[in-house]
Amino acid sequence: MSTSSLQENRRRSRSSGVSAAAPPLGAGPSTAGGDRSGRVFNVVSWIVLVVSAVLWLIPSLWAVKTSLTPNSTSALGTGPILRDWRLTFESYATLLRGGDLWNWYLASAVTSVVSVLLTVVLGSMAAYALSRLQFRGRKLVFLLILGGIMIPPQVLIVPIFQELDVVGLLNTYWAVILPQVPAVIVVFVFKQFFDGLPKDFEEAARIDGAGFWTTYRLVVMPLSKPVIGAMSIITFVGVWNNLILPLFVLSNPKLITIPVGLATVQGSFGQRLSDIQASSILGALPLVILFLLFQRRIVEGVAGSGLKG
Amino acid sequence: MTGAPAASPPLRSPAGSRTGRLSRRALVGGGLALGTGLLAGGLSGCSTLAAGMAGAEVAPGTVTYWNLFGGGDGARMQAMEDVYRAGPGTPALQAATFTWGNPYYTKVSLATLGDAPPDVAVSHLTRSTNLAQAGLLTEITDDVLAVAGLRAADFSQKAWEAQQVEGRSYAIPFDTHPFVLYYNLEVCERAGLLDSDGSLQPIRGVDGWESALRAAREVTGAFGASVATIADPATSWRWFQSLYSQRAGSTPWLGDGGRELTYDRELTLDTLDHVQSWTQQGLMPTNTDYAGSQTLMFSGQSAFYLQGEWEITTAQSIEGLEFGMVPLPVLYDQPAQQGDSHTFVLPAMERNDEQLQRAMGFVRSMLDQSITWAEGGHVPAYLPTLRSEEYRELEPQSSYAEAADTVVYDAPAWYSGSGSTFENIIGAQIGLVQQGLASPATALESARSQLLTYANTPSPL
Amino acid sequence: MTAPTLASPRAATSTSAGPPPRRSSQARSAWLFVAPFGLFYLLFLVWPVAYMFITSLFDTSLVRPGFGDFVGLANYREMLTKPEFWSALWHTVQFTLYTVPPLVVLAFVFAVLANQVGRGEWLFRLAFFVPFILPSAAIALIWSFIYTPSTGLWNSLQAALGVESPSPVLGTPDLAMIGIAITTVWWTIGFNFILYLAGLQDIPREVYEAASVDGASRWQQIRSITIPMLSRTTTLVVLLQIIASLKIFDQVYLMTGGGPGISTQVLLGLVTTTAFTDYRVGAASAASVLLFLVILLVTLVRQVVERFQQRKDVTS
Repeated sequence: MSTSSLQENRRRSRSSGVSAAAPPLGAGPSTAGGDRSGRVFNVVSWIVLVVSAVLWLIPSLWAVKTSLTPNSTSALGTGPILRDWRLTFESYATLLRGGDLWNWYLASAVTSVVSVLLTVVLGSMAAYALSRLQFRGRKLVFLLILGGIMIPPQVLIVPIFQELDVVGLLNTYWAVILPQVPAVIVVFVFKQFFDGLPKDFEEAARIDGAGFWTTYRLVVMPLSKPVIGAMSIITFVGVWNNLILPLFVLSNPKLITIPVGLATVQGSFGQRLSDIQASSILGALPLVILFLLFQRRIVEGVAGSGLKG
Repeated sequence: MTGAPAASPPLRSPAGSRTGRLSRRALVGGGLALGTGLLAGGLSGCSTLAAGMAGAEVAPGTVTYWNLFGGGDGARMQAMEDVYRAGPGTPALQAATFTWGNPYYTKVSLATLGDAPPDVAVSHLTRSTNLAQAGLLTEITDDVLAVAGLRAADFSQKAWEAQQVEGRSYAIPFDTHPFVLYYNLEVCERAGLLDSDGSLQPIRGVDGWESALRAAREVTGAFGASVATIADPATSWRWFQSLYSQRAGSTPWLGDGGRELTYDRELTLDTLDHVQSWTQQGLMPTNTDYAGSQTLMFSGQSAFYLQGEWEITTAQSIEGLEFGMVPLPVLYDQPAQQGDSHTFVLPAMERNDEQLQRAMGFVRSMLDQSITWAEGGHVPAYLPTLRSEEYRELEPQSSYAEAADTVVYDAPAWYSGSGSTFENIIGAQIGLVQQGLASPATALESARSQLLTYANTPSPL
Repeated sequence: MTAPTLASPRAATSTSAGPPPRRSSQARSAWLFVAPFGLFYLLFLVWPVAYMFITSLFDTSLVRPGFGDFVGLANYREMLTKPEFWSALWHTVQFTLYTVPPLVVLAFVFAVLANQVGRGEWLFRLAFFVPFILPSAAIALIWSFIYTPSTGLWNSLQAALGVESPSPVLGTPDLAMIGIAITTVWWTIGFNFILYLAGLQDIPREVYEAASVDGASRWQQIRSITIPMLSRTTTLVVLLQIIASLKIFDQVYLMTGGGPGISTQVLLGLVTTTAFTDYRVGAASAASVLLFLVILLVTLVRQVVERFQQRKDVTS
């Protein structure tokens, strides 16, 4: 990548990305001196924002409310749901007792965690080599990887299905994990990061006699925690939320991930509308918890520079 | 394969409290590991994990069974499954229901291809022949039937012969579900359409039909008969196909395994003309969907309701509604109505004797409960039940049981069958004709050109 | 107008002690490090693309072994003359047209206002961004419920506002795609919102203060400072959005299954139906190739635009 783009990235990420703290006041349009139009503008902004935020919260809140309403009431429609405020957890109880949901959680957890491990380790290894080592074919490899960014994986669902069929991996967690490991963006981001990492520590390690692998493991990776964190989160969420791949490569109802499980719920729950809403809440819950724990990291990761998709 | 675009993090040098970040990461990492461990250790988690990672069988010794029954049928099937479970010493049963139509068959196909099919699955007869040709089903030989104490002669011959592919059997018929006529007793009485013992006077011919509809409309003030016209290609197809098949000289729609469109053009256009004239004259509604068409009859705004027999449960649940059911009146030359059969199939897999025994044991249990299933309106294909006293006394089911003998299955083709692309294409056009949005000729031409693409495509089976 | 850059990207090397490892052992390490990832890359990115191109020339079937008969360009001809293909393409474009403008404009507006008021950011982040990290299946269930005919929240609201017998959103051919678009905007606006917020915070406040001293109103400031300075972000957002929209599958599959009829079926949905329901892998591959080419085109445009903008920055 050209030096100018690196400078670009540096500049763009200079001040903060988006932090949990409030931005500096007045970072937007300001009025020096006279304040009335400014105050009106502020009030209008507030109103518009709050109304929009409330509107945006309504669908989720509606789902939560319905999930706490008896099935018999929710089958009747909006009015009855709004009038019935006897909150009940029976939908949640049904789902949590049922057993299927736990299998979905297990499938999602295992596939996401293993994917993250493989992707981050293999991706960072490749990136490190590309960043630090001179070898014949380096440019070619890098160009290939760059080209990979332009390939949309969803379009490849059919050949990937056939490939997994041939090696007999259909209906295993590996069918979901393996195709998601070559996340080119991860290599790219790690390489950019490594390129910007001062080599002092690595030089020192080399003087101490450390080999390439040791340097990578003990020196470089510990220094890369923010990137590891961001890439892990992004990969985790991406794998967790992936629908199209597990939808077709996993048929066994005991092995499906949460998104696929939720997709089958409308057919199999029939008119149990509260149960359906409760299942969507439970399906979303792990990620919401993750968000509340790692808000800053997630938002920073998303807001960062060099957007590639 | 992410659903959303990924982005890179800010590229700044490591800063901030490393210990703080570490401890939180350790906490979550440990929590995840603990959670996964708990899940794996709990209940069936261990075997599921093993299955997921190593492809082991998830729950050996159980019967897995997939079906596509929702609504009333779904509830009824679950009751029958519970009876099976309650039997002494029966293996555990894992049942799953998927959305009716293509989504269900896609799931079954992919599962079979991926070596993880259910032990037993439900299939429409018209789809089972395609599954068989695709090599996805185990053959049902006499030996297989004998495992459950069954013989080929135990089943309705029409269904048994229809399910065969090149002389071999791959499906065990469970029921036949023809297109029938429901009638509102109160409305029909007021319209003078009932005979002395309170059942519907036979209606013959188009004239008879139209005059009955007019008489009914006098009473209802709305319509004479109702059938779905919107967003329901399956019903539109069934309505048309039933009428078309009643005409002498009507040829099957598809021939040569779907490679040719062999419908009779004149008879088709004429039938579509009639269909359109009834909605144009206001004898039947132009814009009503599946639910709407039945509500019209339930609420007395229509004397007749046309649909498959499975809506009997819904009708019985309407307070104060008295209704009857008969086979579709013969409006043309011969009795006929569109229909299909539900069958049990054994997806292709490596099966040992025990697995076969378990699977067939389940099938036998379902067949033995055919009377329960018949209460849901279906005509049993299992002859011991069909010929039993108990069934004969079941009203109104027994009054239309004969329709199973004159049922017309969809022509075999890789793109045909219940809920198939064929039904979707042609049903959509017929719906337009019903709604008055297309002339019969235009609709037929549109359907024809769409179907020709499929007819000209070599079969993937 | 760019901010001063940091030190040059290539960190100053310390006085190197000892010669660097020989090239051959460097090469060995390099390949060892690159190989694992490279293997996955070849297996699950390169080979599938090749396979896709190859099978598009055969009438490969899902249920028959091997590639089937060679049919040359017949699959492409079928797809390019089939009404279902063009309608799927149109619906994909339609979806893009329905979602990209609101996702860009609304996100921009929200970000500018949020940046303006300064406080309460946690609330806005929660409201706008949380939907973004939820699985598509969860939001599809939530919104399908809202769109329930007659009794759902959407229709009930319409009825309350005086609309007589409001049409079922997902059941009406003309409205179904709009319904899906609304759901998508709700779902993914958080992403653009965050991007714009980040971009906004890069604009130094001195610029605004200078402008206001010159007598520019807030609105003028937004128009002449904020919008131009965010043009980079906007371009990226728009292109990113377009690429994501072309790949749409989840919402359509979950909420309408392509229906009513085929009025919402999109290209990727057509590909999967052709391959997995009709068993016709060859034909599906042809459609995949066509979709792939369209996406590739837009991606290339994006790369070109990015390079162009970078060059502009370097020279400015």
